[in-house]
Amino acid sequence: MICDFCKKNKATIHLIRVQNDNVEKVNICAGCAGDFSFFSEEDFHKDLTKILYKIFKADEGRPNGIRELKNLKNLEVRKNRSCSFCNMDLKNIKKLGKMGCPNCYSEFKNILLPIIKAIHKNIEHKGKIPENTTGQIKLEKSIRDLRNRLKREIFVENFEEAARIRDEIKQLEKNIYE
Amino acid sequence: MNDSRNFLSGNASEIGNLDGNSTILSTRIAIARNLANHKFPSSSSLDERNQIIRTIHDCMEGIEQLPEFHFHRLSRLTRVQRQMILDDYQIDEDFVSKLSGRAILLSPHLSLKDSAISILLCWDDHIRIQVSSRGSSIKEGYAITGKMEKLLESRLSFSFDKEWGYLTANPANLGTALEVSIITHLPAIAISPEIADFIKNLTKVGCSISGFSGINSEIIGNLFRISSSKTLGKSEEEIVEEMQAICLNIIEEEENSRKKLVKKDLLGAKDNVYRSYGLLKYAKILSFDEALELLSILRLGLDLGIVEKTRDFDLFELINIISDSHIISNFEIEGPVSDDDIDLKRADLIREKVLEE
Repeated sequence: MICDFCKKNKATIHLIRVQNDNVEKVNICAGCAGDFSFFSEEDFHKDLTKILYKIFKADEGRPNGIRELKNLKNLEVRKNRSCSFCNMDLKNIKKLGKMGCPNCYSEFKNILLPIIKAIHKNIEHKGKIPENTTGQIKLEKSIRDLRNRLKREIFVENFEEAARIRDEIKQLEKNIYE
Repeated sequence: MNDSRNFLSGNASEIGNLDGNSTILSTRIAIARNLANHKFPSSSSLDERNQIIRTIHDCMEGIEQLPEFHFHRLSRLTRVQRQMILDDYQIDEDFVSKLSGRAILLSPHLSLKDSAISILLCWDDHIRIQVSSRGSSIKEGYAITGKMEKLLESRLSFSFDKEWGYLTANPANLGTALEVSIITHLPAIAISPEIADFIKNLTKVGCSISGFSGINSEIIGNLFRISSSKTLGKSEEEIVEEMQAICLNIIEEEENSRKKLVKKDLLGAKDNVYRSYGLLKYAKILSFDEALELLSILRLGLDLGIVEKTRDFDLFELINIISDSHIISNFEIEGPVSDDDIDLKRADLIREKVLEE
């Protein structure tokens, strides 16, 4: 069974909870479980009761269980810090449910990552990019898109097309370094 | 609809024209953008927000290809004017929860049949370009927002991250920062036992559901606003196509529920429709919410062909006409207006538009 969150890795923990005729199933892989900050990847392998306690304790009274991580109100602020550009601190971000400026995203990247992952089940932009972006970002974006296409072509065993895409990627990568 | 995947299984290219279908009442497409190297409105002072509004407004005035826009600061509009704008342009009520340091640009649209373009300044994000139109016109609406964005982009630079796409104040909008939403009228699904599964399945495919006037509004008159909520990891085209497929499936679900209703309990349905008819015909005062509930059932009666002595009416148009703000402005009620005055006019108006021969 594949992990419900990353949709990639094999899920190694399967939780089923029955509450008021409501059946909830969650399948998680070790990597994602670690990301959810309920527990570290280490104690994930050690103590099952501890994991269960943490998960169900964390989502007590919340019908949607883990999905509740879906907004900034669930940000875990262990040590308050503020953004060097807008001065907004983590406590305020949590309270408002909003970021203060574009720079907050880079300064608090690690803390935000699990929440963004939980909201979108994805962490990579696939849409359009601004017209006035510099050539470098445009190239990187094309390479990322091509790599995704490459994976798909290999998956459907279309090796001829895959080889063509691989060469195209190589060419683009060469352009970047030049 | 036991399988949530069904929602996405429609072939978007086959959808074509859904005009004339009375289930999807309207469409709204919105994209959010923020100016690069500026704080988001959430952390800006009033002066800073006003400065941003000026910057954007000045820029827009220099772009010749843009359509005509009227600029309004929220703080300078009356309560009724604000409410009318919300109703006409399908703007979330939360936008007027705070008035200072917020503004809006409106493209004048003469009839409800045109697309209504609005640009909201300094709500959660600096810029929100919104296009609302009648029926199901997702692709057309998206094309208009894209055009507007391109024009603004010629003068403004937007904050963008190569991994996370367009940066927005709320991380839930990161990426494409695109929201596609529709208002649907689902009277048969709403009273069927399948409603719980219906909502669960929509949530599973990444949609959020609310009442029609805003994120936190209650569902009245069997009108649901169904919005796309995933913005990261999907391209704009994918989001648009998915929502089109979802529209098709919703229409089909509602049709199935209606067939079941007629088959299982025609008398009950007739009874309900005529009770609504009776109330609409004889009630002296009608609140907006009550009127909506009754009109929804009457509309269902018309669609099922089980009610007579009723004129065909467009539910979406009627909702607009009978809203508080439109009644106050159309009847030029002056001075302090009591709720009863409005409710009285509303009951008369509905009889005039729908019931009287």
